[in-house]
Amino acid sequence: MSSDHSRDPCPIVILNDFGGAFSMGVIGGSIWHGIKGFRNSPYGERRIGMLSAIKARAPVVGGNFGVWGGLFSTFDCSVKAVRKREDPWNAIIAGFFTGGALAFRGGKKHTLQSAIMCSILLGVFEGVGLMFQKYSAWQNKPQAMAYPDQPQPMA
Amino acid sequence: MSWLFGSRKAEQKAEEPVQQQSLGFDPTSVSDISNILSTPGALDTSRLHPLAGLDKGIEYLDLEDEVLNQTEGAQGLIPSRGWSDDLCYGTGAVYLMGLGIGGAYGFQEGIRNIPANSPPKLKINTILNHITKRGPYLGNSAGVLALTYNIIDSTIDAFRGKHDDLNSVGAGAIAGAIFKSSKGFRPMGISAGLMAGAAGAWCGLKSLLS
Repeated sequence: MSSDHSRDPCPIVILNDFGGAFSMGVIGGSIWHGIKGFRNSPYGERRIGMLSAIKARAPVVGGNFGVWGGLFSTFDCSVKAVRKREDPWNAIIAGFFTGGALAFRGGKKHTLQSAIMCSILLGVFEGVGLMFQKYSAWQNKPQAMAYPDQPQPMA
Repeated sequence: MSWLFGSRKAEQKAEEPVQQQSLGFDPTSVSDISNILSTPGALDTSRLHPLAGLDKGIEYLDLEDEVLNQTEGAQGLIPSRGWSDDLCYGTGAVYLMGLGIGGAYGFQEGIRNIPANSPPKLKINTILNHITKRGPYLGNSAGVLALTYNIIDSTIDAFRGKHDDLNSVGAGAIAGAIFKSSKGFRPMGISAGLMAGAAGAWCGLKSLLS
């Protein structure tokens, strides 16, 4: 698997992933908590309820996303630097560390469980990605040209 | 992010580079073939090979479908492919900075609030609790501000077709006003002024660094 050139080189891409994940979380969280706050407010206060729900919760969702994405990117870069290769195992190992680091305050058992769950999740993602890659490669496979039905008579 | 939003291709302003004279001889002074073949350097195998020049390697951000941002005056400190890169880098940097500063503040607050003669586990927990209370709060607020600022900045850039310090200051003022828009006019004005000042300071720093 060759490296992905639509992304920046390693140490600085961490910043990009932090910001990207945070923005995604804030925008998605605004939509999610906006709808939720609107529906859960009494009539007459629905818009103000939506606004306060967004203000209270969207940045937190963004922060959770951002920390996850940034930690993952940091571990991904570190694993790449140590292993000196790029394959799906990078993401799985980085997912293991990310899940573990985020659950570290919950005790040993919780840390291990969360790390394993996270690496399984990343493994599934990578598997689906590989499937898509294989499928698109199969779609663009080189085609042999068809033989003409009848041999041209020699003149 | 172009897979998500699609991106309008910026018009290519760079002209095709003029084809350089690469023949090893002067074409006007050719009389016959053997004359050409005997000229030293005419048939340089290291340049005629189909894979010549590959030792230069691939350059990042230099591929055809990843054109750098070509808005006038928008070239920042790091190369950017457009508004989504600006958004990600700007938000990420400010968010991380807020997280770090808030975390540092929480750390010293936690150190000061350690209960007297407590076991080490409790000490660590006290410090961590204070860090996780202050860090994410400051980081989230700063990140949301930076996100709003970057979205507005890129929008103004796209409308005006160029980027300058006035854009940044204006975007900062609008972002600050939106951030405090539910608190009344006075906080809105104060926050808009603060953000405009911060954006102006950033512009000054950027021009100093580049």
